[in-house]
Amino acid sequence: MSFNPIIYFLTLPFLSVLLQGCNDEDTTLLSTKSIIYCSEGSPEGFNPQTVTSGVTTDATSNQLYNRLVAYSGDEHEISPSLAKSWHITKDGKKVTFYLRKDVEFHHTSYFTPSRKLNAEDVIFSFNRILNVEHEYHEVSGGLYPFFQSIEFNSLVTNIEKINEFTVRFTLSRPDSSFLANLATDFAVILSAEYAQYLSELDSHQQIDLLPIGTGPFKYKEYRAGSFIRYLANENYWQKKINIEQLIFDITPSNTGRLTKLLAKECDIVAYPIAHKKIIERPDLILNEITSFNIGYLGFNTNKPPFNNKLVRKAISYAINKEAIIDTVYFGKAEVANTIIPPTSWAYDAHIPQQEYSIAKAISTLNEAGYPDGFTMNLWAMPIQRPYNPDALTMAKLIANDLKKIGITVNIIHKYEWSTFLQLITEGQHQAVLLGWTADHPDPDNFFTPLLSCPSSKQGRTGTFWCSKEFDKLISQSLQTTDLNKRKKYYKNALKIIEDEVPLIPIAHSKRFQARDKKISGQLLKSFGGINFVEVNKN
Amino acid sequence: MLVFTLRRLNLFIFTFIMLTALSFSLSFLFPGDALTNLTGQINASPEQRALLAEEYQYNSHIIKQYWAYLTHLFDGDFGISIASHLPISSEIMNLLPATIELSVVALFIAMAIGIPIGFLAAINHEKIPDQAILFVSMLGYSIPIFWLGLLAILIFSIQLGWLPSAGRISLVYEIKHITGIQFFDILLSDSEYKWQAFQNATLHIIMPASVVAIAPMTIFIRLARTSMLEVLDSSYITAAKAKGLTFWQIIYRHAIRNSLVNVIRHVGLQFANLVTLAMVTEVIFSWPGIGRWLIESIFQRDYTAIQGGLLALSSFIFIVHILTDFIYAALNPLARDRKHGA
Amino acid sequence: MARENIYQEEEFPSPLQQLWYKFKAKPMIMLAFSCFLALVFLAIFAPIITPFSSSQTHLEFILLPPAWNDDGNVSFLLGTDQLGRDMLSMLMHGASFTFGLSFIIVITSAVIGVVIGSLSALTSGFKSSFLNHFLDVILSIPSLLLAIVIVAILGTGLSNTVLAIIIVLIPQFIHTTRNEVKREFAKDYVLASKLDGASSLRILQYSIFPNIIEKIITQATLAQSAAILDIAALGFLGLGAATYIPEWGTMVSNGIDLFYIAPWTVYFPGLAILFSVIVTNLVGEGLRHALKQRKEY
Repeated sequence: MSFNPIIYFLTLPFLSVLLQGCNDEDTTLLSTKSIIYCSEGSPEGFNPQTVTSGVTTDATSNQLYNRLVAYSGDEHEISPSLAKSWHITKDGKKVTFYLRKDVEFHHTSYFTPSRKLNAEDVIFSFNRILNVEHEYHEVSGGLYPFFQSIEFNSLVTNIEKINEFTVRFTLSRPDSSFLANLATDFAVILSAEYAQYLSELDSHQQIDLLPIGTGPFKYKEYRAGSFIRYLANENYWQKKINIEQLIFDITPSNTGRLTKLLAKECDIVAYPIAHKKIIERPDLILNEITSFNIGYLGFNTNKPPFNNKLVRKAISYAINKEAIIDTVYFGKAEVANTIIPPTSWAYDAHIPQQEYSIAKAISTLNEAGYPDGFTMNLWAMPIQRPYNPDALTMAKLIANDLKKIGITVNIIHKYEWSTFLQLITEGQHQAVLLGWTADHPDPDNFFTPLLSCPSSKQGRTGTFWCSKEFDKLISQSLQTTDLNKRKKYYKNALKIIEDEVPLIPIAHSKRFQARDKKISGQLLKSFGGINFVEVNKN
Repeated sequence: MLVFTLRRLNLFIFTFIMLTALSFSLSFLFPGDALTNLTGQINASPEQRALLAEEYQYNSHIIKQYWAYLTHLFDGDFGISIASHLPISSEIMNLLPATIELSVVALFIAMAIGIPIGFLAAINHEKIPDQAILFVSMLGYSIPIFWLGLLAILIFSIQLGWLPSAGRISLVYEIKHITGIQFFDILLSDSEYKWQAFQNATLHIIMPASVVAIAPMTIFIRLARTSMLEVLDSSYITAAKAKGLTFWQIIYRHAIRNSLVNVIRHVGLQFANLVTLAMVTEVIFSWPGIGRWLIESIFQRDYTAIQGGLLALSSFIFIVHILTDFIYAALNPLARDRKHGA
Repeated sequence: MARENIYQEEEFPSPLQQLWYKFKAKPMIMLAFSCFLALVFLAIFAPIITPFSSSQTHLEFILLPPAWNDDGNVSFLLGTDQLGRDMLSMLMHGASFTFGLSFIIVITSAVIGVVIGSLSALTSGFKSSFLNHFLDVILSIPSLLLAIVIVAILGTGLSNTVLAIIIVLIPQFIHTTRNEVKREFAKDYVLASKLDGASSLRILQYSIFPNIIEKIITQATLAQSAAILDIAALGFLGLGAATYIPEWGTMVSNGIDLFYIAPWTVYFPGLAILFSVIVTNLVGEGLRHALKQRKEY
């Protein structure tokens, strides 16, 4: 038959595969030395300094780079990283970092470093942000959103090299969150030598696209919308990396990620859906962690009736938070007792859980002088955020709760996000559903932006609440580096919030991750991006 | 054979003109500016635009514009993608081989299984196997392919855990792009994990290719059945019977060969249908082929990509069409002398 | 409803009656035919007879499994989706979109295709050969690709996909009609009419159409099953019906995110598509078979 050779030719490779399958037992399977992480999106670039998106920081910060200092432990205390130690002067205005001497940059096909990390690299990394005239400042748009939000430019007046491995930052004012800021995902250290090499080639843009860092993994290949391939950094200074390859399989579809997990094509998946299905499977593990965020109901304390603290208190009794967690967050959140999530070191375990009691609510409302209730408006934010995935439904549930104590709620949900914020800032609302996500785990990042007088005046938080006593406590806390003292100040500050109820904390959302049982090692942190350095495959 | 070849060449040129004219006219039909659609240069400065307009004869007569467009095509310049800003030609070179691989393997599966079953049905004409085969084949071409794909993933990837659900190969294997046809690239690579990669790639293609193959397979069953019935009805079979050959001898020596030739003739026609199915399948199995890319391009309003993809994919189908015509002509001397081919 | 009835008043009733006798001889085909009629009925009257409106949400019954399941509820026979919409009602409504629209598509493209096809059959020479090649080219472009291009021009949405599929199907009708008309024209009875002095158009109308109408109907049933699958595929790919419309393909794609926790949201719309395509194909098959048998006598 004339087709025989064709058929033979086509089947031959497949047959030989079957035969060959028996021979290569000596080379262990490549898949046992690689980890595939199914991520939810493509990164914008490979330099976390220039972004705020979680997708990009997840993919880059902890994998490719290190920072001067890091967070460690459950309470996110500051610990050494590229800086093996540091010193802060008494006035808190001079911070000196002593760098490690054994840190190698990545050796890759596109760049081979000739020296180890030194002070030049630190100075380059921060000058790029601070100095508007810097050769690399405008590369990738010249925007450094995180550093702008913490007013880094006005905080740091100078960075100087003391010697090859010592750098000193001079600050314009003492700031105890400075170290915490340097430990965030955004404050990574780049290679000055690489930058110089690129500027000789006149391809500055490459610095953020073909990255060179000191982190546990080095860049190998990236195909937008498809995958990122990292190889282990064989010279990593901290420890030996257990795996050979780390692959980000970019899978935006929720079902696609779940399918790949169930079919064992991914070792770890980001933001899994259908938790029940994952828990059912004995070979998979679902991890969860409470994120550093807070969804809350804020009162406009300038306007009656919410200028009366008893009214605010009454409403806090009337809201069934458990029901909200179940319906709005589908159980993927934790009831918030105060503005700080329990994983923060400033959290005070003695804060009582908010009581849900209609009777108490009614009697408090009577006491406040509204026995017949009143009509109020409640503004629900028009976009989805992890801390509030569905503000409209939440508003409906709250309206339902408040009906029981005689309060009629009109829900306002029609504005587009920027208009909405504008009107909130102007104080058009009586009550509003909003939230906050912390930029770094220092608890100050909750207190100051949410409830301090200056930020209340700006109006973005929707409360217009201002307490001199509260402000004094949080600024005292910022001026000291003694952790126990800071804890005490924050404890008192939380007491004031509990007593005054400028806002009702509702939920801290959780971040989920699912993985195969074979994968060991902690990689989810309640704050910041994921970290694969400890991950191992058995 | 010369006349036959000339005829095909003529048809090929005509088709090429038709397809390029269609693709060219699309840039005017798509929303937005025609020059932008044609080149994909969405962020061009006024000077760049003027240059492009010059290059593409944008202000001259439509025929000249078309000619300018053709010249660019011949230079391999399909414009750049509006979404990714990469040259369309390089995108196509990356993606088309994956589609070719999927559809050729699927065609092979469809023929290898469909044709023998069709013969079996014809041999048992009007008996129970025939009826059963016909009914099952009816089911086969009635199933919505995207649904079939989902069920296949549920059963074979998740319940049984036999086959992977997405992609061409596990991402742990790093295969250099040489020919684009992955199996060849693996064989050409010098990785120590070559054979693992080959096995892995084989496992990846089984499910999508089978899903694509289901509907064409049923068509091959019908074609093979009809063709075999016709052959069995012809006089040389009667002659063979009279010669005293057994039934199976007749089937093997005469019937199969002759009816196969007739089936081959239809491969080209079936191929367009098969590629349609492959496009949907690529979406379900995240197969990095041109079909998935085209569908994503609609969402991204990447009109340059749609034009280029249309041209590439339909030219590919047409080439297969003509190739099967040649194979048919090579196998069947009668076809070469017929006045009207195709 | 039964499309055969339309032609009973025409001049050639007996071949059709003959066809009908052959057609109804097979019980399997008759079963399919009655299912087909039921689908037509559903497509027309779905809004009246469904238990709930297809958009009515029952927030207290979210993701309810089908009634035969332990957690099911009899008032939601096939369960509910993530918004608590009744699956059965949505599927019944879907019949008017996926199945009903395929009818409109096929009738429209058949009418256009037959007119163009028969007129083009009267041409000859270069024009004819050009048209032949042109059709070859169009037919060699995958139908989905062509539909995608048309959707890209017109924008996504149900009405645009309908238009796209009509355009895609027209060449097939032109092709069939053209071939059939040409074949009939070569026959002697046409020559007889010609000798009587009838114009080409008159021959088409009175001599040829009655002879090819069955072929076109057969082609139409093929086209209809293709149309159902195309509407559903485009809906599934997110190019067709908007997500709130209970079109079957769109329902499958809506259900994908729930596939692992509420598989019935994917199973049922898929089964509905499968059922309607099988029924259409069986009817077409029966028709072809009956035609063949009638010719043999």
